[in-house]
Amino acid sequence: MAFYDDRRGLDDYDDDYHYDTDYGKHDSSSYPIMPDIIKKFILHFRDVIQNGSISDKQTLYESTFPKLTEQYYDNSPWPTDREILKELPEIENSNDDHIFLVLYSELCYRHIYARVPGGPSLEQRFESFYHYSALLDWILSSPEPVRLELPDQWLWELIDEFIYQFQSYAQYRARLHQKSPSELEKLESASKIWNVLSILNVLHVFVDKSNIKQQLEAHASGNKPESVAGEFGCHPLYKMLGYFSLIGLLRVHSLLGDYYQAIKVLENIELNKKSHYTDVPACQISTAYYVGFAYMMMRRYADAIRSFTSILLYIQSVKQLFQTRTYQNDQINKQTEKMYHLLAICLVLHPQCIDESIQQVLREKNYHEKMYKMQYGDTNEFESCFMFACPKFISPGSPPLDGPPEDHSKKALKFQTEVFMAEVAQQKMLPIIRSYLKLYTTLPLTKLATFMSQGVHQFGDDWSLDKEVQALTTHLLCFKHKMKNVVWVKGPSGLDGSFQSGSELDFYVDGEMVHIADTKVAHRYGDFFIKKILKFEEQNNKLRSLKISKD
Amino acid sequence: MAEAMRQEIASMLKGIQRYNPDNLQSVERYVTFQAKENAYDLEANLAVLKFYQFNQSYDIDMTCTILLKALTNLPHTDFVLCKCLLNEGIVQESNVSRIIHLANLLESCDFKQFWARLREIPELHRHVVGFQDSIRKFVCHVIGITFQTINKNLLAQLLGDVDSHTLNQWIQKYNWSLRSDGYVFVANQEACIKTKNITENIAFDSVMNIMKYCRQG
Repeated sequence: MAFYDDRRGLDDYDDDYHYDTDYGKHDSSSYPIMPDIIKKFILHFRDVIQNGSISDKQTLYESTFPKLTEQYYDNSPWPTDREILKELPEIENSNDDHIFLVLYSELCYRHIYARVPGGPSLEQRFESFYHYSALLDWILSSPEPVRLELPDQWLWELIDEFIYQFQSYAQYRARLHQKSPSELEKLESASKIWNVLSILNVLHVFVDKSNIKQQLEAHASGNKPESVAGEFGCHPLYKMLGYFSLIGLLRVHSLLGDYYQAIKVLENIELNKKSHYTDVPACQISTAYYVGFAYMMMRRYADAIRSFTSILLYIQSVKQLFQTRTYQNDQINKQTEKMYHLLAICLVLHPQCIDESIQQVLREKNYHEKMYKMQYGDTNEFESCFMFACPKFISPGSPPLDGPPEDHSKKALKFQTEVFMAEVAQQKMLPIIRSYLKLYTTLPLTKLATFMSQGVHQFGDDWSLDKEVQALTTHLLCFKHKMKNVVWVKGPSGLDGSFQSGSELDFYVDGEMVHIADTKVAHRYGDFFIKKILKFEEQNNKLRSLKISKD
Repeated sequence: MAEAMRQEIASMLKGIQRYNPDNLQSVERYVTFQAKENAYDLEANLAVLKFYQFNQSYDIDMTCTILLKALTNLPHTDFVLCKCLLNEGIVQESNVSRIIHLANLLESCDFKQFWARLREIPELHRHVVGFQDSIRKFVCHVIGITFQTINKNLLAQLLGDVDSHTLNQWIQKYNWSLRSDGYVFVANQEACIKTKNITENIAFDSVMNIMKYCRQG
C-alpha cells in the first residue's frame, strides 16, 4: 500500500509533510538553473504550442516534460516565467508568447504542488491563482474563440488541478493553528483568492459558454450537438473545457457535501455508458468515483455498486495503462483503492451479486477481513474505511481569522463521517437478522426474537418475549425500509429512479410468520472450465512451437 | 399556485444565480409557503441550506422547517441530503438536534418511540401543515412492503395510536382489508417476493474459441 502513497493523499490527510525520496535520481542542485537542453526545450515547446499539431503537443506534455522534470527538476521548481524572460531573449513579452508562458507556468505550479518539498508557499498559492485567472480570463473574455488547441488530457488535468489547488488552499487556510501573524495578515487581505464562489463561477461560465448542456441534451435525444453548440461550443477547446467543468462541478459539490447538485449537474451525461465526449481515462474514473460516492450517501446502494463495479472492470481491463509511475497514475491507483473500499462498504450494507472478477479482488485478505469486521457490526471498521475512501471534504465558509487559532481543516470530514455513521448505526441490526434469515424459508417471529436476544440477559427478570417480538418487528420494518432503494432505470437525470429491492435476501411477514426468499447462485463451473481449457490450449501451442535442438 | 411558485423559484436558482444573496429572501418565503400549504420542493430548500453553508450562518427556524419538510418526503432520503449541508455547530442547537433524533427514530422504523417523542414536543411541527399524516404515509409505505397480514392493534399503534375510525380510513386509503380475525390483509407478497435462482449462462462468444481449437485439433 505504501507504494501508492503520493504526496497529494498525504498532504490532505495529515499536516505532516512526507516526501518520497525514491524519486530522487539526480541531485538537482548540481545543475545550473537553466541548462542548455532546458532552454532548447522551452523554445521548442513555445513553437509547438503556437504552431504545432495536437499530437506534437501531446508528446511534449505527456512524455518530454515529465522526463525532463525527472532529470533536472525532480524536487525543485522549474524556472519561473520571469526567469525565462530574462534568460531567453527569443521569448518576448508579446501576446502569443505571453499565453505560452501562462500555460507553461501552470505546469510549473502543478509540479510545485506535486513534488517540491515543503509544497507551495502562500505566495506561490496566490501566484498560481493569478495565473489561472489570467489564462481563464483570456479564454473566456475573448470576443471570438481563441486560437488554441490542446490535447483533451491536458484540458482535463487543467480543470482537475484547478479544483485540486482550490481544495488544497481551503485545507491550508483552515489550519489556523499553524499560521504566523504575517501569514494571517496576508490571508486576511486575500479573501477573494481561491474563493468557493469564484471557483463555481468559472466552472459555470465554461458550461454556459460552451453550450455543453444543450449539446449533451441534443446528443442524448439523437440530434446533432453541433446544431446547438454555437460559435464557441463548436471549438474543441471550449467544448472540452465545458464538459470537464461539469465533472469539476460534480467534484466541488461533492467536496461541499451537496450530493444532490453533484448528481444533478451531470444530467444528460450517460453515466452508464462509456462516454462519447471523452476518452480521458482519469476523467471517467474520477466521474465514477464521485458519482458512486454521492449515490452511497443518498442510500442508493444499487446505483453506487453499479457505478463502482463498471469502472473497476474497466480499470482491470486497461491496467497496464496506469503502471508507469507518474503522479497522475498514482492518483488513479489511489482512487481505485478507494473505490474498492467504498464498494466493500456498499456490499456489506446491501449484499448483492456482482461481477466475479471484482468479487475476486474483494476476496483477497485485506478486503475480506474488513468486510468481515463490518458485517459483524464493527463500527470502527466502517469509520476507518469511510475516512480512507471519502473525498477530502472542505468547509466553504472559511473560518474567521481572528478566532482561536484552531485546526479547522478536518471539521467537514468529521461532520460528513458522522452523518454516514448515523446511517450505519440505524442499520446495525440488519446483518444479524440477515444471517438468521438465510438459514430458513419460514420462521415464526417468536423464534427469531428468541435467537436475537441470545446472550442479552435472556430469561432474566425483565425479559419478556412480547417485548422482544416488538423490538424485532421494528428491526424487520427497518430492514425492508433500508433495502428498498431508489434505483436509476432510464432517463437523462441520474437522480431519477424507482424503488426496488435489489438485495439478495428478501422476506415478508404474514401475521406472526416470516417468509424468506433468498437468492441462490449456482456455481459457475462453465466459466472456470473455459478459462482452464483456453490456458491449456495456449500452453500446448507454446510447446508445439518450441524447437528442440538435437545435439 | 404552488406550481407557479416552483417554476419562478427554479428560474431564480439557475446556474451561478443559485448563490446570489438577493434571491435568498424570496426562497425563504417559499419555504414558509411550503410549510403552510403542504407543498414541497427539495431543490429550493437545499439551495437555502447551501446559502447558509456558504455564509456559515443558519437561520434556525428556517433550517428546522426545511428538515421537518424533508421528513415528510420519506422514504426518500431528502433528510440526509439536507443534513449533509449543516455543520457541527448547528446540529447541536436544541430544536435541530430534536428533529435529528426524530429522524433517527423514523429511519430506524421505531414508530412507537417516534410518536411518543412527538407528543412531548407538539409545538415543534405545529407550523408544518399535514406533518403527521405525511409521516403516516411513510409508515403505511413500510408496512405495505413488509407485511402480508398485520395485527390490527399493531397497525393502529404504528400509526400513532389512532382511533378505530382513523384506522379504517387509512386501511381504505391503501385498499387494505380488515378481516374478521383481527388481522388486516395488506398485499399478496407471496406473488412478488420469491426465491431467485441465478444459474450460469454461457454466451456463445466465450465458447467460440474452444470450438475453434476443436476443429484445428
